[in-house]
Amino acid sequence: MGIIEWVTTIFLLAGAFFFFAGTLGLLRFPDVYNRLHALTKADNVGLGLITIGLMLQVDNWVLALKLLLIWFLVLLTSATAAHLIANAALRGGLPLWRRP
Amino acid sequence: MQQPIFSDELTWRDRLRYALLRLPLFALLWWILIEGKLAGWWYGIPVILLAVLVSLLLLPAPRQPRPLMGTVRFVGFFLWESLRGGIDVALRAINPRLPLNPDLIDYSLRLPEGNARIVLMNTISLLPGTLSANLRDDCLQVHTLDDNPQTMQSLEQVETVVAQLFGIDI
Repeated sequence: MGIIEWVTTIFLLAGAFFFFAGTLGLLRFPDVYNRLHALTKADNVGLGLITIGLMLQVDNWVLALKLLLIWFLVLLTSATAAHLIANAALRGGLPLWRRP
Repeated sequence: MQQPIFSDELTWRDRLRYALLRLPLFALLWWILIEGKLAGWWYGIPVILLAVLVSLLLLPAPRQPRPLMGTVRFVGFFLWESLRGGIDVALRAINPRLPLNPDLIDYSLRLPEGNARIVLMNTISLLPGTLSANLRDDCLQVHTLDDNPQTMQSLEQVETVVAQLFGIDI
């Protein structure tokens, strides 16, 4: 493997770690609000790292821009979706988990 | 009474100017989507023109010109802080003791109504430990993973950076 392949591998593995941690948070965190933190923030970083890793592998640099665009759109939708879910939960009167 | 399709705040000259400014942006977007291939332009051109028209209907004009330095600062701030946010929540999720001390705090917005607020709310949701939960009048309810006094400061800092992005004085 060349140096680029190694760097790509490191970025992809780091990205996968953040997806793993985000999923762990989704399962372990006590209520919907905390779970939203885990999903939006960890997955955002995970996808960003995977995007960088894949950008190093493209042979047409327009494709690199397309990957960046995909990351940006996912960012926008996940932040919006997280707000909408938190907002619906709050308006629906779902109580917050607090440390006992 | 029927709403006019175009609001009356802008002259047609201004609209034309904004259309000409946005045209290359949408063309660039299309070029990226078709990965630089030439064949996509046949149906691309009508799609680009339609996108410019829709964007003028939905977002008639920026209130102030965007300062370049504000944009650069925002992008840098956002990338660094969202990386920190991801690392922070990942460490909490894998920590066996699950260090969470959540709370819901009220934050009084200084930004005026409009797009700047929407950008602020989305940015807050991607930064360490904060999530925009509800907006009522000028009060934003923010859910925090770890209730501590620094949260208010960092919210004020985000708001300042977003204000600079939009060229607004707060």
